[in-house]
Amino acid sequence: MPLIELVGVSKEYLKDRIPVPALLDLNLTIEGGDFVALMGPSGSGKTTLLNLLGGLDHPTTGTVRVGDDSLERMSERQLTAWRSRHVGFVFQAYHLVPVLTAAQNVELPLLLFSMSRSERRRRVQTVLDVVGLADRADHRPNQLSGGQEQRVAIARAIVTDPMLILADEPTGNLDARSAREIMTLLSLLNRDFSKTVMLVTHDPHAAEFARRTLHLEKGALERDVTEPALSFRSPTSRTAGVST
Amino acid sequence: MTLFSLVHRNLRRNRLRTGLTLLAVALPLIIFVLATTVVNIALRIAASAKEHLRLAVHHKVSLINPLPEAHRRRIEELDPEHTRIKAVCGMRWFGGRVPNDQFNFPSLAGDPDTWPIAYPEHRLTSEELAAWQSERRAAVVGTTTADRFGWKVGQKITLKSVIPPYLTVELKIVKITTAGDTRMVSFRRDYLDEMLRAVGAPAGYANIFWVKCHRAEDLGPLQRQIDELFRNSPDQTKTEDEEAFLASFLKMQGDLPNLMAAVAAFVVLVVILVAANTMSMSFRERVGEVAVFKALGFSRRAVLLLILAESVTIALWGGILGSLPLYLLLKLFPDIGFGPISRISVPPRVVGVALGMSVVIGLLAGLVPAARAYQLRVVDALRRVA
Repeated sequence: MPLIELVGVSKEYLKDRIPVPALLDLNLTIEGGDFVALMGPSGSGKTTLLNLLGGLDHPTTGTVRVGDDSLERMSERQLTAWRSRHVGFVFQAYHLVPVLTAAQNVELPLLLFSMSRSERRRRVQTVLDVVGLADRADHRPNQLSGGQEQRVAIARAIVTDPMLILADEPTGNLDARSAREIMTLLSLLNRDFSKTVMLVTHDPHAAEFARRTLHLEKGALERDVTEPALSFRSPTSRTAGVST
Repeated sequence: MTLFSLVHRNLRRNRLRTGLTLLAVALPLIIFVLATTVVNIALRIAASAKEHLRLAVHHKVSLINPLPEAHRRRIEELDPEHTRIKAVCGMRWFGGRVPNDQFNFPSLAGDPDTWPIAYPEHRLTSEELAAWQSERRAAVVGTTTADRFGWKVGQKITLKSVIPPYLTVELKIVKITTAGDTRMVSFRRDYLDEMLRAVGAPAGYANIFWVKCHRAEDLGPLQRQIDELFRNSPDQTKTEDEEAFLASFLKMQGDLPNLMAAVAAFVVLVVILVAANTMSMSFRERVGEVAVFKALGFSRRAVLLLILAESVTIALWGGILGSLPLYLLLKLFPDIGFGPISRISVPPRVVGVALGMSVVIGLLAGLVPAARAYQLRVVDALRRVA
């Protein structure tokens, strides 16, 4: 059974009381452990789809199933609890709390769980090791580079060991080198830790890291391309893009 | 890290703004605490003055001008049956200091036979009364002065006057009292007169005669009768009840509680507006962050409580800053006072009220941003921030 299943999903927003369609009758399945890039022009529905998968929004019609849970049936409170257990979010602007250290930012989601302080510290230490920032644990966000901030945000996303990582333009604010580091890290999480990664991006180079690329256009799925991800290909083939 | 430490760290986000908000809460509360304290003291003194049923008879010109001893007898003759007047007690200002010490305290000599009747609030036991009556150098000392010098009952003390003829008296403490002005040292006027005569200074005068009455309704008529009695005397009198001595407070007595309530309400309102503005600004700057908190799994209720806790914390710190230093200052320096109030101390109840007010201020100020955080839709907020 696929991890994610969307059936007949539509989403409409009201803009000045006029309904604006964001997604139109979308049917989609995603296997657990997959790395999927969502691409398309602005307003094509990428972020809307990501929000529905993360339980941040309800579809206007249709069903959204993630794992064993049907998200469209859940109340706000249930979705909040569900998100804390099953989803890790990575945002373009990192959204770290500036007054907290890297370790404390990573620890934030764990405050929602009944967990001893030592267990929290252990988990924080582990994920900071994974993202390569163990030596920056006591640094505040303003003492880190953009790439390091995003790695802290990724550590925060995975500290609760979610099954699904939703990344919305995670390389949008980064230079090419940092962007590559972040994408390599997401690939590693996908490959070595079996996390299902959904990535919204405009950047074809970032999308190269995904195994599957979904192209959205005006709220509908236009293309669905599956090919070996960059991290699994030989170095010589890295110039090949999925957007061709 | 805990949610509590998160709240405190958020307050350090913009230290200048936090500091200014804290002061905006603290400064009005200092005024509130001080005003409430003074009003409380004034009301307490007024209440006790009414209970004392005493009239103060002093020279019409000023308190410094002494009245002759004969005035006591003539006042007593106004009520030969003692149905209205309980006792008349002459008091003379001594102006004593402990040698080589600058601590300032009132010292007065009173008539040995009537002083215990005129000042029953000191509650002399039969032994203490007997000691007062038998010992010419007997003295009753207030706790503040006794504590200051470590004096005990039975101890002999020396006071040196700072006014002519600069007498030195040696007194024996028969009671340490907590009543009235606790800096006061009272001793017998016959002993003072004896010392005055010994150096050839005029004796048999009093700065004030306290007339202790039986009933409150006697005060007014007696007041008029006494001043009428000495109208044609070379030493005319001005008779006032004890409340009149506290006129600056007591004239307002009836309005003070309402006035204070109005001031308190005004203070709270102004502070709430200031704090609410600050909290709203703070929230506006952190809409994206609040949205991320919700995305991470913080419930609407948790986010609401975080914002409220932040608002209450900042207001509570303002409340602490606005009340505790004043409380401790007056606790450490109990001799700070002015006018008829010899000691000001902030009642713990007033500190409690101030802290309670600060919590209410925090709650009300944080209400709007907390409600907005509660209602905030993650999707909308992130889109706005993006």
